[in-house]
Amino acid sequence: MAILDKNLSLRNRNKMLVGVYEDEDNVMHATQSLVDAGIRVHDVYTPYPVHGLDRIMGIRRSRLARVAFFCGLTGLSLAVTMIWYMYVHDWPMNIGNKPERFTPSWIPVMFEATVLCTAFGMGFFFFWRNRMLHGVKNEVLDLRQTDDRMIIAVETQEGMDEKSTLELMKKHGAVELREFHNGVQTIL
Amino acid sequence: MIHDSIIRERLVTGDKTAADVTRDIARPILNQPSTAWKVGFTLSVIFLGIFALSLFYTLWTGIGVWNINKSVMWGWDITNFVFWVGIGHAGTLISAVLLLFRQKWRMSINRSAEAMTIFAVICAAMFPVFHMGRVWVGYWALPLPNGFGSLWVNFNSPLLWDVFAISTYFSVSLLFWYIGLIPDIATIRDKVTTKGAKFWYGLFSMGWTGSTRTWARYELISLILAGLSTPLVLSVHTIVSTDFATSVIPGWHTTIFPPYFVAGAIFSGFGMVATLLVVARKVMNYENYITIGHLEAMCKIIMVTGSLVGIAYLTEFFIAWYSGVEYEQYAFLNRAFGPYWWAYWSMMSCNLIAPQVFWFKWCRTTPWFIFIMSIVVNVGMWFERFVIIVTSLHRDYLPSSWVMYSGSLTEVGLFLGTFGIFFTCFFLFAKFLPVINMAEVKSILRNRE
Repeated sequence: MAILDKNLSLRNRNKMLVGVYEDEDNVMHATQSLVDAGIRVHDVYTPYPVHGLDRIMGIRRSRLARVAFFCGLTGLSLAVTMIWYMYVHDWPMNIGNKPERFTPSWIPVMFEATVLCTAFGMGFFFFWRNRMLHGVKNEVLDLRQTDDRMIIAVETQEGMDEKSTLELMKKHGAVELREFHNGVQTIL
Repeated sequence: MIHDSIIRERLVTGDKTAADVTRDIARPILNQPSTAWKVGFTLSVIFLGIFALSLFYTLWTGIGVWNINKSVMWGWDITNFVFWVGIGHAGTLISAVLLLFRQKWRMSINRSAEAMTIFAVICAAMFPVFHMGRVWVGYWALPLPNGFGSLWVNFNSPLLWDVFAISTYFSVSLLFWYIGLIPDIATIRDKVTTKGAKFWYGLFSMGWTGSTRTWARYELISLILAGLSTPLVLSVHTIVSTDFATSVIPGWHTTIFPPYFVAGAIFSGFGMVATLLVVARKVMNYENYITIGHLEAMCKIIMVTGSLVGIAYLTEFFIAWYSGVEYEQYAFLNRAFGPYWWAYWSMMSCNLIAPQVFWFKWCRTTPWFIFIMSIVVNVGMWFERFVIIVTSLHRDYLPSSWVMYSGSLTEVGLFLGTFGIFFTCFFLFAKFLPVINMAEVKSILRNRE
């Protein structure tokens, strides 16, 4: 499976129908009714996390937790290997006649290395999956989608009834309707 | 339709809308700096200068310009290290532990507390690094292949655990803070008008659009990072305490140290958060976001952790007597009634007795009083570390090596100078980044059940 989520880019897409909302309840109802009508909602852009929206849109639960687990295991094995190599294999040191093989005094370094690798490994895959990188061009449909507006974007398909889709958006409180095609937005 | 809870008070007052939140919180970033900011920043830079001077003098002349001696080898220096590390812990605690416990009041204060963590850890790191004397060989503390035979670092030593713990803590906190900042940086990116600002905020927003797909993963990564940071923060101060507890110095060699240090760290950290936020909410007009309710909640935590620390002091004393070890008994009697009695009783009165005023609601809800108390807590916690370090070291097993110790001007300068580092960073943060997490605060504007 590709790691990068291809849904996030707006480039090379069919015409998009865009509904602008001011209220999170309206967005929830609009998204639900679009999904109920069998229309695929491409994405909903919100200035803050609106809980439940991902489930309505049918987005799969993220597998980041599993990624975190494997990154943690990697960190732990790296730490054990490092300590074993330096402390047992390469140059055994006798300090206060403490045993040179595994002792509880290895645990702090093992723990810290596990946490470090989990956090950064998970961060790395999070950025990759979400197409986030320094210098990526931001594709916002509305400058206020990071402020107080919420945007529903529906990608038009062959044979789709655009008019009824727009009406559905309007019915649930869209304050503005737009079309977005090839980087140009038209207010409807 | 807004469904308002009838039993919980609103976390954000003043009937704010999402647009109001952006406008209020982004105001310092989008406008010219205020006079208060300029005055504060200038003062901080002056203190930063004191740090630079003291450090230059230390490096130029040598570590002998500090008053540490062969008995008290850890003086102001390690006191300051533990003091700053402790302060840092409240940031992680507020953002991670309160996130795990779903405490929504954290949302207005977590950003500045996390920033405080990062700046405090920077200040803390200065002390052990420069205590090495030959700082240019500081990299010897890292497990690197080297040219000195095949000598590696000692994994049995708590000082090495500290190297791993502090560096992991700093970098994971920075990642946690940065991931939390991205949505807000994107908000600022879409608000600024100048070309330079657009470029920089654009660069650090990493193309954030607020897509629901990203938000879902963002919430998950925040949760897992919180789950990781919680044991991390406990481990860091536990390891700091083992710097003392694994030695055989009377007064240090006690098993109570890890929980006692962690409670102390939370206590002093919340003290510092209260100091900063009582001022920031007034100066930056954030009274609707950081409400009296927030201050009250922090005061309750200060009171509980202060009492925990107090119980630890009393338990230590009891166990010293109960152990029957005369060295241990002497170390504690010497703390309370020896030549450093004033430090011990300052610690007791600031940390155990003073926070008990927070049983009274007036004390928990009056900002100027909370500010004074937060300073008292900070002073008390500095004295705690001073007492632990200096009273245990100045009289060791051989009475012929008993000495007295007081910090030299350079040591004092370095300590005051770290406040310069801390506040310079904090003022820059308050000017260029949103001090309150806008995205999270927008999600709690409605008081839903």
